[in-house]
Amino acid sequence: MEHIIEMKGISKVYKTGDEDTVALQDVDLTVTRGEFLAIMGPSGSGKSTLMHIIGLLDRPTAGQYLLEGRDVSRLNDSSLARLRNQKIGFVFQQFNLLPRTTVLGNVLLPTIYGRLKNSRSRAFEVIEEVGLSDRVNHTSNQLSGGQMQRVAIARALIMNPDIILADEPTGNLDSKRSLEIIDLFKKINSRGATVIIITHEEHIARNANRTIRLLDGKIVANAERIA
Amino acid sequence: MRYWLLINQSLKAIFVNKVRSLLTVLGIVIGIASIISLVSLGEGVKVSISDRILALGASNLTVVPGAVAGARTLDPTKAPSQTRGFTLSTSSLTEKDVQSLADRKRHPHIKYISGEITGSTIVKTDRGDKRFPVLGVSPDYFAINNLTIERGRSLDQSHVDEGANVLVLGNQLAADLYGNRDPIGATLNIEGTEYEVIGVFKPAEESGLANPNIQAYIPYTSAMETFNSLNFNFIYIQATDESVVPSLKQDIRKTLLKNHQIQNSSLADFTVISSGDILSAVDSITDILTSMLTGIAAISLLVGGIGIMNIMLVSVSERTREIGLRKAVGARTVDILNQFLIEAVLLTLTGGILGIALGFMIARASESYLGFTPIVTFNTILLAVGASTMVGLVFGVYPAVKASRLNPIDALRYE
Repeated sequence: MEHIIEMKGISKVYKTGDEDTVALQDVDLTVTRGEFLAIMGPSGSGKSTLMHIIGLLDRPTAGQYLLEGRDVSRLNDSSLARLRNQKIGFVFQQFNLLPRTTVLGNVLLPTIYGRLKNSRSRAFEVIEEVGLSDRVNHTSNQLSGGQMQRVAIARALIMNPDIILADEPTGNLDSKRSLEIIDLFKKINSRGATVIIITHEEHIARNANRTIRLLDGKIVANAERIA
Repeated sequence: MRYWLLINQSLKAIFVNKVRSLLTVLGIVIGIASIISLVSLGEGVKVSISDRILALGASNLTVVPGAVAGARTLDPTKAPSQTRGFTLSTSSLTEKDVQSLADRKRHPHIKYISGEITGSTIVKTDRGDKRFPVLGVSPDYFAINNLTIERGRSLDQSHVDEGANVLVLGNQLAADLYGNRDPIGATLNIEGTEYEVIGVFKPAEESGLANPNIQAYIPYTSAMETFNSLNFNFIYIQATDESVVPSLKQDIRKTLLKNHQIQNSSLADFTVISSGDILSAVDSITDILTSMLTGIAAISLLVGGIGIMNIMLVSVSERTREIGLRKAVGARTVDILNQFLIEAVLLTLTGGILGIALGFMIARASESYLGFTPIVTFNTILLAVGASTMVGLVFGVYPAVKASRLNPIDALRYE
């Protein structure tokens, strides 16, 4: 099976004043295309840092990162921006929708920065996929939390990315909405996208094929779900 | 990157915060409005003065006595002037000068020529004493200045040859002196000599810097006696055509230098001025005034620009998370930079357009108070659009650079 993500000896050290804070220490991680991976760990364990490095928002201090077999550790900022646009879809805990902008406008945001044929019809497609066809022209402040997160997911999907990265996507939602969102991720995963979710909720992680646990910047457990 | 989407978003952002945007661009609106109205006033003044000078005729030349350094800025009203009804006897322009210039064989391009002895006098009228200018001229003078007779008759060559004590009145002067009475045949005492009024001119366009309607005209030969002057204050010449003016100017210089026995032309004791010379002098004065006023107006643009910078900095910090998100979905540093520059320029451009409209209205409204028409030219509008765009670019750069340099992770975490 193809390894979409291959990380070897990834470390991240932050310099704060005179002290060095080690966020990640010698992490090896391999993700297979089509996987549904959960990353767990207490706060400060380095899971967000790992997520940012996977999502090309941050660079490792040391180690090698192959994305689809290509070494991305040495790429410049513009190339990384392009890869984020084309290969990766982000979903955040805070939704991060543009205020006073319609659902359609929010979903179209990534198409400003990258080429996409028939972007409008593609936008309607992903909006339908997340079940918001009747709210296309609502502005983001007219939506509930669950609906806002659906818009964010539609936005993550519009460029047909290979990887969906979700950072605590259910952290601000009640359990019913959380389940709906997780079901949506499962649906997306079943269509072939690799989904990586950060969570600290066991019942969310249970939906993944595999769960890795971080503690103090190291992977302490790596378990396949025996189905 | 698809800029029209960004422009569309920026426009929406501007219109969503209507009040804030309007207050922000107020400085720009005022700055552009003052530039538009001041420049259009300047243009209006220029054209109205030009019209007056060109009413003299673009083919007219004036010879004034005295060497004037930088003759281009010379204006005939500053030529040696007269006091108490007689001229200063320093003028270097003689009757011989006029006669040699009037020789059509030597100067085929001179159509009309007249000397002028400028005097004035005081007469008693029903409404008290009145001083008015009295000009000693040849009949050609009236052709040069487009004066035509309304009543009676004009001066002719025989009056000049005889040194006849006859007088023609400007239209306004006739009314001032005689009211509704017929002035023809009346006598007027000019500095001790009795003159007979033989005619009144039609009202003439105020041309150049004098008003021909409030002057009296006598033969120059009579003026020489009355004002005790042998020399002319001015010589007025009309060329056969506008195109010969420059070469005619040189010919006149040569003839007069020869008459005055001056070898070195830089020592000339007279100056030849064409309408074009006066026009360019006036133009350069109004240009200096206009650019001075525009400079003052530009200060308010500067203040407006600082307001733009301020609000853009506020906007950047308000939208830190948005910037992080945009970077996460693929915006490059340069895309963020461009976005905030576009917003700043759209703001100032909106201000500029409002300013153009306001300036236009101010110019229009002032028209009725000024007595001339301010002229808003395409170039002025171009200047205003360019200036407001520049202000947006210059004052938008710092906030835009600040936005583009945000670290996406920090930006996304920003509360």
